[in-house]
Amino acid sequence: MNETDTTNDETRTDDGPASEASGTASELRSDGGETGIVAPDDETPTWSERKERKSGLSRLTYEYFERARREDQDLRQESDYVERDVLGFPTWPHEIIRNLAISLFFVGMMILIAAALPPSLELPANPSSTPSIILPDWYLYWSFGLLKLNPINPGLAVLDGGKVMSDQLYGILANVVVVGAVAFLPFLNKGSARRPVEQPFWAAIGAGGAVFAITIAGLAVQNLIPIALPLQLNIVFIGPIIVGVMTYALLKTLREGYMYGLNRRYYMLRPPK
Amino acid sequence: MSLEKRDDFDHNAWLKEKDLTTIETVFLTALVYLDRRLRIVDYLELLEDAYYKVNLQMPKSHTEQYDLDNKFWYWYPLYSLGFFSVLAYIVAAVSGALLGFYYSPSAAGDPTAAYASIRMIMEDLQFGFALRSIHRWAAQIMMAAVFLHMLRVYFTGSYKEPRELNWLLGIILISLSMVFGYTGYLLPWNQLAFWAGQIGVEMALATPIVGEWAAQLLFGGFTLGQATIVRMYILHVFILPFVVTSLIALHVGIVWVQGIAEPH
Repeated sequence: MNETDTTNDETRTDDGPASEASGTASELRSDGGETGIVAPDDETPTWSERKERKSGLSRLTYEYFERARREDQDLRQESDYVERDVLGFPTWPHEIIRNLAISLFFVGMMILIAAALPPSLELPANPSSTPSIILPDWYLYWSFGLLKLNPINPGLAVLDGGKVMSDQLYGILANVVVVGAVAFLPFLNKGSARRPVEQPFWAAIGAGGAVFAITIAGLAVQNLIPIALPLQLNIVFIGPIIVGVMTYALLKTLREGYMYGLNRRYYMLRPPK
Repeated sequence: MSLEKRDDFDHNAWLKEKDLTTIETVFLTALVYLDRRLRIVDYLELLEDAYYKVNLQMPKSHTEQYDLDNKFWYWYPLYSLGFFSVLAYIVAAVSGALLGFYYSPSAAGDPTAAYASIRMIMEDLQFGFALRSIHRWAAQIMMAAVFLHMLRVYFTGSYKEPRELNWLLGIILISLSMVFGYTGYLLPWNQLAFWAGQIGVEMALATPIVGEWAAQLLFGGFTLGQATIVRMYILHVFILPFVVTSLIALHVGIVWVQGIAEPH
């Protein structure tokens, strides 16, 4: 507000009496006055010049954008992409009808299951009587199982067999470690391999992890399974390792099979004896 | 002083010398009329720009590059699991909204009003039984589909290089879905719900430093009661739906932008 007032006053200095009127009079004038917009001449900097004059982060950002755009353009020009006349089936009706059919089938399936296996409603909450079985929904069993890892919470000789952390904290930390490891995965395993046979080791890790999710879920319902706790703990941890080793061996064997064609060609290229 | 009328852009004269058909004349006259007032051309330009940006050629996909259109890839059926979980999410959202009309998040009375309203839905309400059943099964199926989707992404290596951030987003989404399930599990306020909530409070309290604060925030105190039900209810029907829905949109949007990771 102040700024526009001063510029108006400056432009109107040659008007004489009008400038002395100033204040209220200049504010009342709404028509025909100068706009204050100066037409660009040769001295006026262009937009790119203005941007170049900037410093610091904004300048870097601008430079990067320019580079990225140039890179994009170069890649586009170099690409051997052939434009096709037909890019795919029309969305309507082909794709939409198909997707609707699939969606309706799935929704129908859900409703069928819901009709066949309705849920029950147990007794109302009673803080004074603890039920013998406390369980979350099945998809939280793995987490609940990790909370029940207290038998392997190590006691230290230094502390006379005392535990460094409480059993509950130990369980929570186990959850954090498992979720963290899964989240960290893309930063450990890089590269362009897509099929399990290409990386038997990582496929073995995955299979072992999936089995661990099931065995640790078994630990959550430990009091429903008639197996001694030490044996069950062995199953929880050794089961996934066995499955992992089996997966590794299987994929290695498969890979030999895949390589067979290549090997044969290689042997055929060898000079005959 | 008044604005001078300028004839530099005498559109009517231009129209006359163009020798146009009636339709063209009407169209151009209308366009010029509206443009003089509303600056339509600017917006048309924006629209055109957007049109060409949307229709940019995507880079060749793997199947196109190696001409694999005629080959069947045995992982492909598993690529529908993400869509399947979204579908189950929508079914759960619709049935949940309907259930919300009849559920009351209150621990008052004996049995509690929450439990009584669930019993009313199950026993008295027309189709209430079916509604709760559909809601519950949709949630279960969504969780199953999400877990299998995650396995598929792992075993086809789809979480690699340009897609790490979407994998992290997926971890957040699967965790939030489990929180969704947990909060919903507590709402009927039956024995299982109460004692599952008790375990939640104990877990929170066992966490160092932030434990007590988290228990206060999520469960409204160290003992379960009215505050717990209301917090679980607000989490389940207000906060999580907004957060999870927008994160799902972001998740799918990133897949859209980056393209499907096809196995080599």
